[in-house]
Amino acid sequence: MKKYLQIFKISFEEEFAYRLNFILWRIRNVMQIFLTYFIWSTVYSDPAKQIFGYDRTKILTYVFGIMIVRALVLSARAMDVSNDVASGNLSNYLTKPVNYFKYWFTRDISSKVLNLIFATVEFILLFLVLKPPFLFQTNIAVILAFLVSIIFAVIIYFLILFLLSSIPFWIPEIGWGSHFLVTVVIVEALSGSLFPINILPQGLQSIILATPFPYLIYFPVEVYLGNISGWALFGGLMVAASWVGVLWIFLNVVWQKGLKVYQSFGG
Amino acid sequence: MFKKYFKIWWMMSRNSFSAVLGQKLALSMFLVGKIFRFIFFFLFLYFLLKGTGSLAGYSGNQIIFFFLTFSLVDVTTQFLFREVYNFRPMIIKGDFDLVLVKPLNALFRVLMGGADVIDLITIPPLVILTIVYGVSLQPTMSGVLIYLILLINGFLIATAFHIAILAFAIVTTEVDHAVMIYRDLTNLGRLPVDIYKEPMKGFLTYLIPVGIMMTTPVKAMIGGVSVLGIVIAFSVGILSMFFSLKFWNFALTKYTSASS
Repeated sequence: MKKYLQIFKISFEEEFAYRLNFILWRIRNVMQIFLTYFIWSTVYSDPAKQIFGYDRTKILTYVFGIMIVRALVLSARAMDVSNDVASGNLSNYLTKPVNYFKYWFTRDISSKVLNLIFATVEFILLFLVLKPPFLFQTNIAVILAFLVSIIFAVIIYFLILFLLSSIPFWIPEIGWGSHFLVTVVIVEALSGSLFPINILPQGLQSIILATPFPYLIYFPVEVYLGNISGWALFGGLMVAASWVGVLWIFLNVVWQKGLKVYQSFGG
Repeated sequence: MFKKYFKIWWMMSRNSFSAVLGQKLALSMFLVGKIFRFIFFFLFLYFLLKGTGSLAGYSGNQIIFFFLTFSLVDVTTQFLFREVYNFRPMIIKGDFDLVLVKPLNALFRVLMGGADVIDLITIPPLVILTIVYGVSLQPTMSGVLIYLILLINGFLIATAFHIAILAFAIVTTEVDHAVMIYRDLTNLGRLPVDIYKEPMKGFLTYLIPVGIMMTTPVKAMIGGVSVLGIVIAFSVGILSMFFSLKFWNFALTKYTSASS
């Protein structure tokens, strides 16, 4: 435990070594929120308007909720694993007395803490500038369910990143290509970062809800809004938990097979 | 002169295409990713407008035409100016020296030296889709003409942005985030800038002229821009190019040829 605490500290400090990079990355996050915010603010310019199951307060809370949930879930370092595998750098870790998964999970947590701090500051600043109506959730049970859904989301994203990073065991040259396709394009669209899944037709919603992606952003934010409760909430949490189990088993199989073909090119 | 530079551009582009086509799997990943990204946003707009009927006073087809115009400017500039993304290593290693000593305009080389075949593949279907949606708006002949001229003006501003990023790279050695911030800013032009509130709307129209690049051509075609608005658009285009070239010339005087 102590060594992972040290990894956390080092990783946290490492983020400050590239301050300009980090600040520019956060500026980008804020700009991405603008488009989403203003689209929905225009659609719901009439405060009494009810469409897609949201009113102005709920949809703008959804947009602001994305900022915090994204910082918690999508801030991660584990995408660098593909580089370790492709470059042979993985060998350095295999010979050390650390669990490689725990090592990267600790680094992810460190990244999330730092991004959460910045996202909170940005949240407050944007809140003061844009003055949106906001739903402050006061129901303790809902907040607890929200936190549980966030934990599942964090683990699901970690497992997805590791699975993608395993591809270079077999095809080293598509490390970044696969991350672009899945984490930049598919996760952005299907996680609910750009739009809530329930604006789509029922059939399409059902297909997307059967994948792990909406459990990263859409599901936690919907839980916070109180739009999912009772058996639907329980069912959703069970689906998220099942994805954690399925992805974990799949990752273990893929990783073990990957290690067998790993040749440490350049390492 | 033009013939010579076109020949060089074609040669550099062929080399760049060969390098990318050599990695077919990676190419297909990026191609599929770009197509998916376009489809996802298109579907989002489609279903959003199906529910709302209009957005910021524009009809569904008009909003989609705004998005297609944005995509056209975005993809074409990425196709032409992909080499900008590779400029940082050139500056850091000092390899830019090798560009400067050649009897070729250095700016042309670092701006257009590596056309992107992935973006090229996506341009023809995008043009067809833009024409289909444009025609559905039943524009006048003069409307189409002013749209095309303002679109070229949009490309001019996009070029000016890329030149400014290159100059910024020489001064600071920072490229990656500058390019991505430019892209995030232009992404705000996926929809008409009318959806934003002041002062952001003014900021996006005149200071970072995303609105002039992507919104004004469509608005002019559907009759939503005054003659003064069109004159301002061209002035911004010419001024942005003028100042970015000034910045580039200034940046060249700061190049230290480090590590070479």
